[in-house]
This record gives sequence, structure tokens and C-alpha cells, in this order.
Amino acid sequence: MLKEKIESIKKRATDEFLGAGESQKLYEAKVKFLGKQGEFSQVMKEMGKIPKEERPQFGKMVNEIKIELEQVYKDQESQIRKKELDQKIETDFLDLSLPGPTAGQGGAHPLSLVTSEIVNILGRIGFSVRLGPLIESDRYNFEALNIPADHPARDMQDTFYVDDQHVLRTHTSPVQIRTMESENPPIRIVAPGPVFRKDHDASHSPNFNQIEGLLIDKEVSMADLKGTITFFVQEFFGKGLKTRFRPSFFPFTEPSAEVDCQCPVCKGKGCQLCSQTGWIEIGGSGLVHPNVLQASGIDPERYQGYAFGFGIERMAIIKYGIDDIRILAENDLRFLGQFKL
Amino acid sequence: MKISLKWLNEYVDVDEFFARPEELAAHLTAAGLEVDEIENLATPYKNVVIGTLLEVGKHPNADKLTLCQVSTGEGVIHQIVCGAKNHKQGDRVVAALPGAVLPGDFAIKKSKLRGVESAGMLCSEKELQLSEESAGILILDEDAPIGQNFATYYGLDDILFEINVTPNRADCLSHLGLAREIGALLGREVHPPQLNLNRVGDSTRNEIQLDLIDMDRCPRYAGCFARNVKVGPSPQWLKQRLEKVGINSINNVVDITNFILMDLGQPLHAFDVSHLKGKKISIEGAKEGETFKTLDGTELKLDGSELTIRDGERAVALAGCIGGENSGVSDSTTDVFIESAYFRPKAVRTTARKFGLETDSSYRFSRGVNPEGVPFAMDRACQLLQDICGAEVFSDPYDMYPNPIEIPSIRLNRKYVEQRLGFEVKNEDFVKWIEGIGCGLEVLDGGEGYVVTPPPYRTDISIPEDLVEEFGRLYGYKHIPDNLPSLQDAPTEDDLNYKLEDVVRTSLIAGGFFECFNYAFLNKAYQEKILGETSPLEVLNLRVPTEPIKIKNPLNEDYAVMRTSLIPGLLKNIETNLNRSIDFGQLFEIGKSFDRSKDQYHEESRLALGIFGQSNGLWDKTKIPAAFRLKSAVEGLIQSLKGRNWHWSTPAESRQVPSFIHPKQVSFLTYEGKTLGFIGTLHPALAEEFKLKEDIALAEFNLDLLFQGQPRNFKYKKISKFQSAERDLAFLVPKDLSAGALSQAIAKAAGKICRSVEIFDVFEDESLGDNRSVAYRIELQDMDSTLDEEQLTKTQQKIIEQVTSQLPVKVR
Repeated sequence: MLKEKIESIKKRATDEFLGAGESQKLYEAKVKFLGKQGEFSQVMKEMGKIPKEERPQFGKMVNEIKIELEQVYKDQESQIRKKELDQKIETDFLDLSLPGPTAGQGGAHPLSLVTSEIVNILGRIGFSVRLGPLIESDRYNFEALNIPADHPARDMQDTFYVDDQHVLRTHTSPVQIRTMESENPPIRIVAPGPVFRKDHDASHSPNFNQIEGLLIDKEVSMADLKGTITFFVQEFFGKGLKTRFRPSFFPFTEPSAEVDCQCPVCKGKGCQLCSQTGWIEIGGSGLVHPNVLQASGIDPERYQGYAFGFGIERMAIIKYGIDDIRILAENDLRFLGQFKL
Repeated sequence: MKISLKWLNEYVDVDEFFARPEELAAHLTAAGLEVDEIENLATPYKNVVIGTLLEVGKHPNADKLTLCQVSTGEGVIHQIVCGAKNHKQGDRVVAALPGAVLPGDFAIKKSKLRGVESAGMLCSEKELQLSEESAGILILDEDAPIGQNFATYYGLDDILFEINVTPNRADCLSHLGLAREIGALLGREVHPPQLNLNRVGDSTRNEIQLDLIDMDRCPRYAGCFARNVKVGPSPQWLKQRLEKVGINSINNVVDITNFILMDLGQPLHAFDVSHLKGKKISIEGAKEGETFKTLDGTELKLDGSELTIRDGERAVALAGCIGGENSGVSDSTTDVFIESAYFRPKAVRTTARKFGLETDSSYRFSRGVNPEGVPFAMDRACQLLQDICGAEVFSDPYDMYPNPIEIPSIRLNRKYVEQRLGFEVKNEDFVKWIEGIGCGLEVLDGGEGYVVTPPPYRTDISIPEDLVEEFGRLYGYKHIPDNLPSLQDAPTEDDLNYKLEDVVRTSLIAGGFFECFNYAFLNKAYQEKILGETSPLEVLNLRVPTEPIKIKNPLNEDYAVMRTSLIPGLLKNIETNLNRSIDFGQLFEIGKSFDRSKDQYHEESRLALGIFGQSNGLWDKTKIPAAFRLKSAVEGLIQSLKGRNWHWSTPAESRQVPSFIHPKQVSFLTYEGKTLGFIGTLHPALAEEFKLKEDIALAEFNLDLLFQGQPRNFKYKKISKFQSAERDLAFLVPKDLSAGALSQAIAKAAGKICRSVEIFDVFEDESLGDNRSVAYRIELQDMDSTLDEEQLTKTQQKIIEQVTSQLPVKVR
């Protein structure tokens, strides 16, 4: 009797489990047959009616059937789950062609980008940053740099004056003097920052930026200078580019040299940027003039040095292909927005 | 400076560079004389040749045209239609043949004019760009060589170099000077001009009495008298030479002085002797307060410091700068005194700068002319006066040179040259190149050392480093190898501020801000209009002077004063972007603001931020006031600087608020005990005035103060192992009480088990009257145990009691 009942449960339960197409139905069937109040439990309560000696064998059978049913249930459940998950995945389409949330990343000004990059490159060979005031005394901006009053070299830099003794610095070179006055050799510094000259057109800004390097040590040669600049150029513009020196004149260096590097666009073959010459001018350099060392309290008999300076705007123009430097001070977001570098 | 290759060719052989001017330019540039431009004057005259008119007939179909048969050489005949009337058979004319491109890009082609073939054009002076206007075609002299290129015939077979001469190379400001330089560079002989002067017997000294008083400022003064000078137009060759190098022809005497200037680099002056009072010339300082009228009619008031050339009564020239109107050469002049002198550079330069007299003469004197070249320049001028103006040049010219300028010799070792240049220097190379530029050289110790005496025209060479450079540039900078200096310990002083600026930059960029760069100077009125009353900024530790620092010589009004805040610039950027239809943006700038107290200038590093509008993206439906977005960015920035003690405060009164900020939408930042800036919404009055419709928030901080105490350490706080609990409390808060103050009060009341206090809801409604409901979520956690219900209830009660007794708030 009981045995038939159990056989019946087994058959019906198996049918319902296998027939359940979705997890809810399956769950209901599980409660109905295998739940605490389910048919199987009810039947088990009737175990007492079975003769004592048959019980172990009977119990074993019931147990086996239960395990069998649970297995059927489990198999069915995992199958349904998988099917339902597949369905869910199929219908859960997220259109990732829609935009993500805006705002996102901002960007540094291209002049900052160039400055940081130069500072970092020179930092790797031991140059650390020094800064100075933008309103400079005549002494730091000119006198100590071997540009006495009424010297023709003052014509090279059209100067803004705030009073008879103070100018808006025309170059970053005053930082050289300030550093040499306050620190002892060996010195190895890089001085970035704004400078001012009375000139305004597509290629000149009255408020532009320079970066200057200064090294003071026991023996310093033009070769040390050229090696440093070549290292910088190759790190900044690209490996393999050559540099060359052209003789020039700066009151604060002797010998002096203009620095050209092979055009990073055409690699020296000739293009529009370099006016077909294969070379572009990037800055000025030279060995520190003994008068400058003297004026800064450094004994030219004991120490020598080199200095070089680049225009940040010029670097940005070369590096990013900017053709009118006035755009740098407009701060138009369509321009700035491109420099998320 | 413009240099003519033909002119140069008279003094040094540069023949081959007519065909390859770039090569000469490369030599010069490599030696430090940068060639900015090369202009081949012959280019416009290609296929423009001299012809003779074999026949001048009538055009069959046009009365006003002639039909010419033009021969440009044996058996070469061109039929050319011509509209002019001034030509006849046998005339020598200029024919532009097909292929010619005349000045103004006028290309000549074979064509048909009124049905008749015309193979070119007969040219007028205007078409050849020889004059502004011309009537008829140009008829040449009868002996003009047929078939010759017109440029060659006319002296336009020349090439001009625009050379950028650095201030130290005064010796290269002339054709002879440049010839010397090229001679040294290319190892060629230089042939200075030769003189053939026939003086008359009369003595200069009987005509003019010369008195050199100021020997310091004028170490050398030479002068010569010339009689019967016929002043008139210059001959063609002289006019043309001067015009090529950019000097207008005036009359033959003035042209001769200008010619010498461009030829030898020595500025000269010619006086009309009939105007020299007392037939006297003296060189001495000006009289204080006297007026002096220059050749071009400008009246100058002299203060006595200027060096002047004077006659018996008055100043007749400002030494080295410009002559006086009272004694210049005119058409009626017959007797001339030619002055050739060496004035000290500083004497000329001071005066030239004071009066803005940047003449060709002052330019050269202030860079230094050759003191030893003074008499030769005078003689060469006299020779030309004799040849061109028919002058009788007197004997016994003056040459006062009481204390000849000594040229100190320079001692240096070859090893030093090697060490500074970084490559091996051979004795014979050094000798060859240094002697090549005209130096006297004595070799010491078998080629280990030298005593060098520079030539008098190289006033720029005075120390061993100058000779290192000379040798380096002549031998070639290309020989300098690359050498990386060996790494030693760099100086230890840090470059912290620069790095901190990068920290600020990085933090703001991550928050979606773009960096701006504005000029440090701006329009005074604009700055004042934006900043308004500045005292509130002072309180915020943003120093602002009552008067901004003025630039004495600004470019224009828009760049006239130094900025005292970064806000005006940033607001301008916002305006620019809005005007260009960009309606959302987040900007910042790091820069200096300028201030003065007495004679001290102060520069303060500032950070300014601005947000305008809101991104209107798919996901940005919640409208967040710009000031709040700004606040988040600033807090992120403070955290990236590892700041710990900071808070925001609402100013109690409107007058404490910067006048460009909305007085009710503002907060001040106090950081490590110092108030150092603000955030807030742009004042509606300014927004209206500048028609800025978007929501705009601004902030400015004193970066120097923000960077104080750096580098800061950061230490983590221990995490409790025990469970935390949350309590939500809503308070009725008066609208004018800051919710932030209540947050702080709650945290204080909750004591050390308070982990966080967050506002999660703000609600306003008419039913609440002058209050709003602010809901706080308080997270409580203990380090040593799990808080039980009793502790939590007690804490909650304590919070409510304390807060409601301190502040006018109620629990809801």
C-alpha cells in the first residue's frame, strides 16, 4: 500500500519536475512533493504502520527514492536556471553606443604640458626647479647678466618698465643670478616661467614663457652643453634627432650658440615647419660669461658653467603644430579641450 | 643690414656666389651672421633684353599701335606690337620676350594684338619698376649693347642679403667689414678700396679752427675742408647702390657720406662751412637748456649732458646722432667740412636713446666703429667729393687723436680652448683662424700658449672666452661633440612649489577642469569694474593694492596694469567661450597677482577657478548649482594636498563678500587656521551687465598659503573591527542658518564614536514657514566594542539635547 503510494509520488513528482518549464513551477512542485508539508513527508509519517522488521529495508528504499527525486529536481533546476539566464542575457541589451556621463577629464594648458615635460626630462639628469619674481630689478634682469645700461644688447629685448629700476623680466636668466648668489656650486637648475617683451603679433606674444637651464661646476665645456641639449631634444622631440650649434651673441655667455635641432616633423628631410631646411631653431645657449659669474659672487677662476634657454611657446608650436600663438591666451575650450594629454 | 653681393665683390672674390647665393648664406649663418633673406634683383628680368628697332611700322588694324621689328642680336628678330609713341627706328629699347615675368607677376607670352602676332613687349620704366610713372617706353643710350640682359646692363645683376648682425659685431655693419669676415671664413684675400686723391695746396687749417675739448667722449676727430663743391643729384651708380641697400638718395654730398657709411662702416657728417659761425668747430658738452633743431626739423631741448659739435656760437650737431638744421648741406652749399670721428659708444647711445634718434649713424657709433679707420674714411669721402662733385680738397686735414686707444693683448693657453670647447685643438689650426680675422698672434711654449692682439675693428674681443668663441665658430661648432655631464648630487634645495602646482593641476584635471593661460597685465578699467571694492579680498588674504602696478610703457591700454587677481582674466575667458556658443566649461588658472607696498613689489601665487553652465548630457538630468560643483573640486584638491584641517564658513554680512560675488551664494575657505579664499556665484549685476546667462561660479585662493606646511605627512586611521550603526535625524532649521554648522554641532555632540555625519535630504515647503527640513545620517562606531541599543539611544538623545540647546533648531 505504502509502497504503491511512494511509487506513485515518485512517478508524479518526476513528471512534474521534468514538466516544469520555469523556476517558479519547479519550486512549487518541489514544495508539493519534497517540502516539509509535502507528500513525501506525509508518507513518511505513515512509516509506523510498517512491520518493524521490514522497516530498515523499506527505509532504505524510501531514502533512495528521495535522493533520486532530489537529483531529478537539481538537474531540472540547473537546466531551467541556465535557460532562464540565457533568456535574460538575450533580452538585457545595453546600448553602449550611447554616451557615458559627461564632464570626465579636463586638461592642462599646452604651455604647462610642455613646461612639465621639459622639467621632468631635465629632472632625470639632476636639474631641479628654481623660480623667481616676474617684476625684476634692473640689476638682476640686465646689469648682473653683463648687459650694462646703454649697452646695445638691450635693444635685443624690448622691455616693459614698471619704474626706473624695475622691469617685467625679459627672460628667465635673472633666476641664474639669484641662484648663484644664494647657493654654492655645483649648481644644476631649471627655471621655467613667464617673461615679457614689447612685441605682439602672430608669432610674438608680449607675455610668453621661457625655460632656462644653468649648470655650474669645476670644468664645463661646450661639449657638455651640447650633450645635455641633445639628450633633451631626443627625449622631448624624438630619438635620433641631431642638434647643431650656430655661433651667436648673448651678453651673458661666451662662447654663445643658437641651438637648432633636426625638424621633428620631417626628420631633417625638409618640410613646411622647417622651411625646407631640415632644421628648426629652438633656443640659445653658451658658456656662462666670466662677468656673470663674478657678478653673482662665483670665482670664474674656480668655476665654469653653461646656460641654455628655450621658448615654451616655440616648443608647443613645434610639438603640437600650433600656427598662431595668440590662440594660447584665448582659452577657447574647443582648443583647450584637445589637450587631455 | 642689407648687403649687395656686387659691392662685396669689389673687396673680396665672391664671384661664384652669384650663381649659388645660398652657399654664401650658409657660410655666414654658420659663422654667426644669420642671413634672414636673399633677394636676387635679376630674377624679374629674365628674358628681358636690349634690342634695337629695325623697323617701326603702322599696325594694319589700329591707329594707336605700332608694329616693330626688334633685333636682339645677329639675325634674331622679333615682331612686337607697341602702344607707345616715343620710339623711332634705330632706338635701343628694352624688350620683354616670351617667358619673361615682369615685376608684379606680369607674364609675357606670344599673343595676337588686333589680329597681328606680337612676340613680347617693349617696356617702360614703370613696367620695369624703375620709376613710379613713365611716359612712353624706355629709350636707352645709343651704345647699349644689343642682346645683353637688361639686369646686367642696368646694374641689377645683383643679389642682396639681409643679414641679422648681432650687437657685438659692429665691424660687420659695412661692405668692407663683411668682406673681411668672408675673407677670414673662406681664406681669401681682401682688397680695400684704393685712393687717388689730389689735394690742392690750400690748408684746411686756414679755413676752420678745430678745438677738441671733450677728449674722453671723443677720442679721435678728423676733418677736411673742400671748396667749390657742386651740390646736385648723384650719378646713377651711386643712387642705385644706396637704393639697393635701402637708403634714399638726397644729393651727391649726403649720398657720399651715406655711401662711406655702408662701405666702410664709418658714419660721416658734412657741414656747410658758410653756416659755421666764426669758422670754428669744437667738440664739447651741450649748454644746459639750449635748444637744438635737427636736420629733420625736430626741436630738442638739451640738458647739458649731450656731446655736441659746436661752431663759434651754438651746437651744429649732436655728436654721432644727427646734424643740425642750421649747418646742413643744401643746394646752395659750395664749401664743405667733412667730419670723421670716433665717439665713445656710450656717449652716443645715451643721447640717441634719450631722444629716440636711432639713425644709421648712432646705430654704428653706439656699437663701436673702428677708431683706426677714421682718417681713411675721411679721405675716401674727399676722393668722392673730388670725383663726383668737382670739389677742391684742401691739404692738412685735421686728425686729432691725443690719446690713441690701446688694444690690450690677451693671453691664453691652448689647453683652455680645448677644455672649454670640449675637443682637441691643434696649434696650427688656432694660429690660422685667429690670424685670419686680423689678430696679431705670438706663439708661446711651442704652441701651448698665445698672446693675441685683436685688430682695432674687433672691439668685441677682449677676454680669453672671446677667443674661445672666435676659434670655435670659425673652425666650426659642428666639431663640438655631445657629452652628458657626469651626474653628481644635485643641489638639495627642493622645487616643492613647482611640484605642488602640478599636484593642483592633476587634481583639477581629473575633476574635468581645463587650465587657462592669461597675460599678467590687463586693462585697468576692466579690472576695476570686475573687482569693484577690494577690501573683502584683503580679509580673505588675497592681497590687492589700492592702485595696481602700472607699466610705464605699455603696448596699449588693454595691457596697461599688472593683475591683482586672476578673476578678471578668467571671467573674460568665460565670456569668450559663451560668445562662441560654448555653454558649459570648467576652467582654472595658476598664476601670479601683483601688489606693491612702498617700493616693494609682492607677487602672490593664486589659483582661480570658474565654472559656467552645466553639462547637458544624457545622464546629467539633476541640476546642480555651479557653486556646489566648484566646492567639490576644491575639496578634492585639498585632499590631494593632504590637507586635514579645513572648513567652509558663510560670511555673516554682505559687505564681507567680494563685490563680484553673489552675497547670498558664497563660502569662505579656512585652511590650517588661515582664511585664504572663497567660492561663490557670480554677482547677478555683473552677469546682467556682461549678458552672461549661464550659472557661473568663481573661486580664488592664495596658493602660497595653501602650500604652507608642505610637504605634509599622511597617516591612515585605524579601522574598527566592530559593527557600525546608523541613526537618521531630521531637524527643522531656520533658512539663514547654515546646515554645515549644524553638521559640525552634531559631530561634536556625538563625540568620539561619531564616524560620519552626512546630509541626505533638504526639504523646503510653505508649511515649514521660515524653516527648512534637513535630514542627517549619523554613522556611529566604537573602536573597542559593538555599540548596544542603550548606548545608541543615549547618544541620540545627547545629540538632540545639545544641538537644540546650542542652535535654534528642532527635531522633526
